[in-house]
Amino acid sequence: MKVSAPRSEMMTQTHQSEPPAAPSRSDQMYWILQCLGWGSYSTLRIIAAIAALEVPWATMTVEVLVLDGLGFVASHALRRYVRRNRWIDLPIPQMAGRIVTAGFIVGVPLGFLTQLTHVAALQDATPMLQLYFPGLNAGLTLSVRYALQMMNWAVLFVIWQVIYFIAVGLREYRSARLKQSEMARALQLAELRLLKSQLNPHFFFNALNTVRSLISENPRRAHDAVTRLANTLRHTLRSRQDELIPLSQEMEIVRDYLELESMRFEDRLRTEIFVPIDASTVRIPVMLLQTLVENAIKHGIGELPEGGLLRISAALEDDALVVEVENPRPIVANVLDSEGIGLRNARDRLRLLFGGGASLLLDVSRPDSAIARLRIPRNP
Amino acid sequence: MKALIIDDEPPARRELRRLLADFSWLEVVGEAGNIEQASALVESLLPDLLFLDIQMPGGSGFDLLSRLDHVPDVIFTTAHDEHAVRAFEVDALDYLLKPIDPARLAGSLARLKSARVHDTEPVRNVLDQIFVRDGEHCWFVPLQEVSLISSEGNYSRLSWGTRRPLLGRGLAALEQRLDPERFFRANRQQIINLKFIEHVEMGVNGRLHVQLKEGPEVEISRRQARLFKSKTSV
Repeated sequence: MKVSAPRSEMMTQTHQSEPPAAPSRSDQMYWILQCLGWGSYSTLRIIAAIAALEVPWATMTVEVLVLDGLGFVASHALRRYVRRNRWIDLPIPQMAGRIVTAGFIVGVPLGFLTQLTHVAALQDATPMLQLYFPGLNAGLTLSVRYALQMMNWAVLFVIWQVIYFIAVGLREYRSARLKQSEMARALQLAELRLLKSQLNPHFFFNALNTVRSLISENPRRAHDAVTRLANTLRHTLRSRQDELIPLSQEMEIVRDYLELESMRFEDRLRTEIFVPIDASTVRIPVMLLQTLVENAIKHGIGELPEGGLLRISAALEDDALVVEVENPRPIVANVLDSEGIGLRNARDRLRLLFGGGASLLLDVSRPDSAIARLRIPRNP
Repeated sequence: MKALIIDDEPPARRELRRLLADFSWLEVVGEAGNIEQASALVESLLPDLLFLDIQMPGGSGFDLLSRLDHVPDVIFTTAHDEHAVRAFEVDALDYLLKPIDPARLAGSLARLKSARVHDTEPVRNVLDQIFVRDGEHCWFVPLQEVSLISSEGNYSRLSWGTRRPLLGRGLAALEQRLDPERFFRANRQQIINLKFIEHVEMGVNGRLHVQLKEGPEVEISRRQARLFKSKTSV
């Protein structure tokens, strides 16, 4: 459940931000097809009417244009309606039912109107029917003629809708596929960036150097160091952007890391850790606290010739877990540099996982220390 | 040959000491964990060689070199910053990657030893080469190749071939450490390298004008003129 959280989050985000841009292009396409379709239909009808019927051409033209104009307006109204009610998302049988119903709702008044004009004669099926039913000399009754006109329009509107939904469906399918591949790429990139920011070569090579030194000095500690180094490396390589683990597990990673660092720094690095039991079950993004601790050593204690005390403390506040990492740091003029790639990455991850519910602040209000304050909701 | 190990991590220093035990001609005379300690040790122990880490608290290995008067031979030891060493304009520096490969260490030391055989022991109270860091660039500048040193406030600008690196110390401080046989204070603003003089002219005002090879004309101040004449027997 939780693993999929950032994906759906991203999905809705891209969805919300997309409509302003996309419809303009699809709208354009719609108007072109709409005008082209109705335009050619009317033109054919006018030509056919003038050729076949003994009626002044101007009258014919006006009548066809009025009828098809109404059809044009009706189809546009229909489009607005089906778009608002997302017919495209309906299962096929339901959609088909609605398409036919809509065809008749529009077709009935238009067919009635058509029967009142000269154009009706154009669609009068009498001659054709008489071929099959020779007894139909008197022609069709008026009510049947009305019905046929309505039928005619209804079929036209069903065809219109089928073309419309095929076009829209195709477009949505394509953009969904595109979005999917774009999202997969973005996620990959984010994961790669995370890995790069976490795999700190300076730390690993120095740690290996320490291990080599310990092999001859203190074999037992060397064994221990190799185990811890392997754990740290494994977590670094395996951890994913969206994985959440209990604070207690994250603290194991942090302790392995701190143990290795104190082998390197010896008495320059002193640590104080306070994690109450009730806080240790809250789930936090994997390797995030570790990043903060690494920063505290890299930019703080590692920069001080005499070293210092690194303090990690956790507490439950209302419905959130608050973790603080405090470290002494050299007094420098520009503090702006301290917002490195690690911190930026950590913030990105929090936003993806918790939206606005989590926060990460770096407090450098005191000149000689820095406090990273992480706040994670208990029930995200 | 005396060597100094400079690294902020104690295990790394001990490991290097163990590796260097195989080279009997090399004596490790001291260790330092930051550049403050290191610069004091360099001035007092006058080592011939530095094993120098780059990333250290309180200042980098480069910072150390630029504050030293006498820069001994340097082998950088680094976990990951070899690109920083490679960025040097002059290929005078060697580097080793930590954990150090014993074979590579042996190679570096062999190169160093063979280069030393041809070198005469330098006179200790004058500067012969200087480490300059100017913006992005770092150089080891052999002072005999510098034609002119000009004062720029509290700094000094070297004329070294076509390069003009700025040195982080004043002309007066520098003058005391220069070889008097080679360098001469021409006036308040400039020190010239006597080996770079092309010709000397007497100006209309009675002053001496020195034309430097590939360089500008420098006027000798009235106060220094007599000394200049005796030095160069003009």
